[in-house]
Amino acid sequence: MKAVYGLYPDGQSAQQAFNRLRAAGVATRDITVLSAQPMEDFEFGNLDKATWMWWFACLGGLLGMSAGFGLASLTETSWPMNVGGMPVFAWWPNLIIMFEMTMFGAITATVATLVVSALLPNRSRTLYDPEVTEGKILIGVENPPDGSIPDLERTLGSPLGARVKTV
Amino acid sequence: MAADLDRCTGCGACVVACHAENNISTVGAGQAAIGRAKHWLRVERYWEGDFPNVGLKFVPVMCQQCDNAPCEPVCPTYASHHTEDGLNAQVYNRCIGTRYCANACPYNVRFFDFFNPSWEKPLQLQLNPDVSLREVGVMEKCTFCVQRIRGTQIQAKAEDREVRDGEIQPACVQSCGARALVFGDLADPESEVSRLSRSPRGSKLLEDLGTQPKVNYLSRQSQA
Amino acid sequence: MTHPSEPRINNDLLRPLLLTSWRFYLLIALFGAFVLAGLVAWFSQMYFGFGISGLRWPVYWGFYITNFVFWIGISHAGTLISAILRLVNAGWRRPVTRCAEVITVFALMIGALFPLIHLGRPWLAFWLFPYPSERLIWPNFRSPLVWDFFAINTYLTGSVLFLLLPIIPDFAVVRDKSTGLRRKIYGALALGWRGTPKQWHRLETAMQIMAIAIIPVAVSVHTIVSFDFSMAPVPMWNTAIFGPYFVAGAIFSGIAGLIIAMAVLRKFLHLEDYLHPVHFENLGKLMLVMGLLWGYFVFNERLVTYYGNEPAEMAVFWRTQRESFAPLYWTMVICNFVLPLVLMGIRRFRTITGCVIASFGVIIGMWLERFLIVVPPLGAKYLPYSFGIYRPQPAEIAITAATFAAMCLLYVLFAKVVPIISIWELKAGEHPSPSLIPPATEEHPLGELHL
Repeated sequence: MKAVYGLYPDGQSAQQAFNRLRAAGVATRDITVLSAQPMEDFEFGNLDKATWMWWFACLGGLLGMSAGFGLASLTETSWPMNVGGMPVFAWWPNLIIMFEMTMFGAITATVATLVVSALLPNRSRTLYDPEVTEGKILIGVENPPDGSIPDLERTLGSPLGARVKTV
Repeated sequence: MAADLDRCTGCGACVVACHAENNISTVGAGQAAIGRAKHWLRVERYWEGDFPNVGLKFVPVMCQQCDNAPCEPVCPTYASHHTEDGLNAQVYNRCIGTRYCANACPYNVRFFDFFNPSWEKPLQLQLNPDVSLREVGVMEKCTFCVQRIRGTQIQAKAEDREVRDGEIQPACVQSCGARALVFGDLADPESEVSRLSRSPRGSKLLEDLGTQPKVNYLSRQSQA
Repeated sequence: MTHPSEPRINNDLLRPLLLTSWRFYLLIALFGAFVLAGLVAWFSQMYFGFGISGLRWPVYWGFYITNFVFWIGISHAGTLISAILRLVNAGWRRPVTRCAEVITVFALMIGALFPLIHLGRPWLAFWLFPYPSERLIWPNFRSPLVWDFFAINTYLTGSVLFLLLPIIPDFAVVRDKSTGLRRKIYGALALGWRGTPKQWHRLETAMQIMAIAIIPVAVSVHTIVSFDFSMAPVPMWNTAIFGPYFVAGAIFSGIAGLIIAMAVLRKFLHLEDYLHPVHFENLGKLMLVMGLLWGYFVFNERLVTYYGNEPAEMAVFWRTQRESFAPLYWTMVICNFVLPLVLMGIRRFRTITGCVIASFGVIIGMWLERFLIVVPPLGAKYLPYSFGIYRPQPAEIAITAATFAAMCLLYVLFAKVVPIISIWELKAGEHPSPSLIPPATEEHPLGELHL
């Protein structure tokens, strides 16, 4: 992997670098931004904000609820047992099972969405620098077109306090 | 089942017969003293009145085979459930020993096996082959001698006839010298137990809890 | 008040992971010995028979169920408190949430063990699991114990994930800060975390959904635990107040557990710069509120029983108020109500020491509360002929002690492998850029919060 990136001490300078990269014609989706904390105060920290996670959570909840309903109703009616004169298919206790299964479904669907959408796909893009952990903000371009590297280095190096690396 | 408290002398023959019939293991004096004796049927003794006018009352208490049994719905594994003929069944092999049923039972007639059962020789020779032994960690209780009920039903079916009233006798009923206990089919209005259940003396134990027990107690009227 | 800088946060919070002193091994050995003793007690109970416990007819539930309810109650410390604090975006929560969530996970694991320990035949516990057995016998969904199984299952899954999700970025920090095998292990645990805006957004959205989902689950768990009692026709059990009463008590004891854990961490891991007196003060206030709520519920429960004047219930009522259980009952009232009210109600006592003393009182009081809910009613159920007593035996006491040791052991081990204060959340809280945050969402900096 080839990459050019700059490390910035604070959000302002990172935002400058981000703006200049775009002005230089780099598409937003090609810019890699890494930080040790959420940077929602800045524009670059608000990329990729749209997510279907809420819908997936609802879907998971719905699936869980159906599973809970199915489990309770099918097992009760397939082998009817009289206990304490209660109805074979008893709504109140089944609602409890359905509720717990709904929540179970919603929780697992949320986490599954997170893992699939945000954690696993990173295998292909691997630009990283341990200095991010120290609080630096990384703005960079992975696999830049040949010949554009000097231009990118200049662009990334212009904000105050920037340190540019090429790997 | 009906229990006539006027007739009960508190002799305890029923308790002994129950132990023998149902292979109820004895737990030894020490364990019994701390309350681990397993009397599926017990004779409760109550003193009534103030000295010197004291009356004595005996109440034989066994599983009341409730129609709305509180012990049944709380069991997570269906070990405790209702059979089609209205008995409270306890499936020992299915029991995992939560003891929830015993807590839910208002009559305290369910017993837990704290240890594996054992019999001093030669007592093991008198074990009833029709009744299974219970291992450590399960609940057990009065079954109305279900093995006798089923045996008689099979016998009657083999002879192609109905079961006669009074033909089924649980061990306690059979051993009761005063005939205080009567067993029969409550669904048959002609049976003796049905007749007794309509007696004005009749009442049920803790009736207001709504458990609909199937044992009728005929209250004591004579003084002794 | 000084705010630790970013590299210092890393150093301070990673120090317990990277440096190990002899005291750590001593603690492990000490708690491990207790846990081992408890395991020996449990296995001998299975080997010799359940009779080595003190349970007897008619008191079939004792210490084990008390511990079950108690630990499930403690588990409400974390997830519920941290979820609520996250949703209302309380700035002071940041150093507190993880301590709390860890308590939840471990307390829940310990609590969920007790239904197994108390089973007559624990090797058959899998019959509670709805699996298609060869004879297609399913669990009874009308039994509160099956509800328990589902509720604890959901809550445990939820709270483990709720704990793990915000750890992922911290695993990445440890990965970057360590070498060798440790780097590989933490690298795998970090699941390829790099810190892109997408990852941060997804993580925060996930945490928000989890926080919303976990609150009703936590409430349902302790309500269902209370159903174990209120569904049975036992005097003083069969009451509708048990649901909210148990939930309030659970949060109450959970806060107490959290305060003790935080005070210990602060002292032994030298986190004085992160866990400030204001955290204890705020939690103390929360505890005061829950203490008042607890008193309100107890008053309701008692007064309604007293006016109902039902003979069976009154037998239990007087047993706890005046007769054999009265010393325990009034100790409970002092520990749960008088002590927290005095210590947390008066500002001068709302110090770290004061909070810790009150918390120990609440822990003792809440354990007694559960004991007094479980045992006295079972010993005095309707027919006076069948009244009975209960005396705990060494096996039960050993197992009870072992669970407290197990909690400490797990906590020590956890603090060894995971930063016990969320590093990234702390950093995010320390670097707000005021110009860009609208005033309505501005967070109160630490130490300036005067409620």
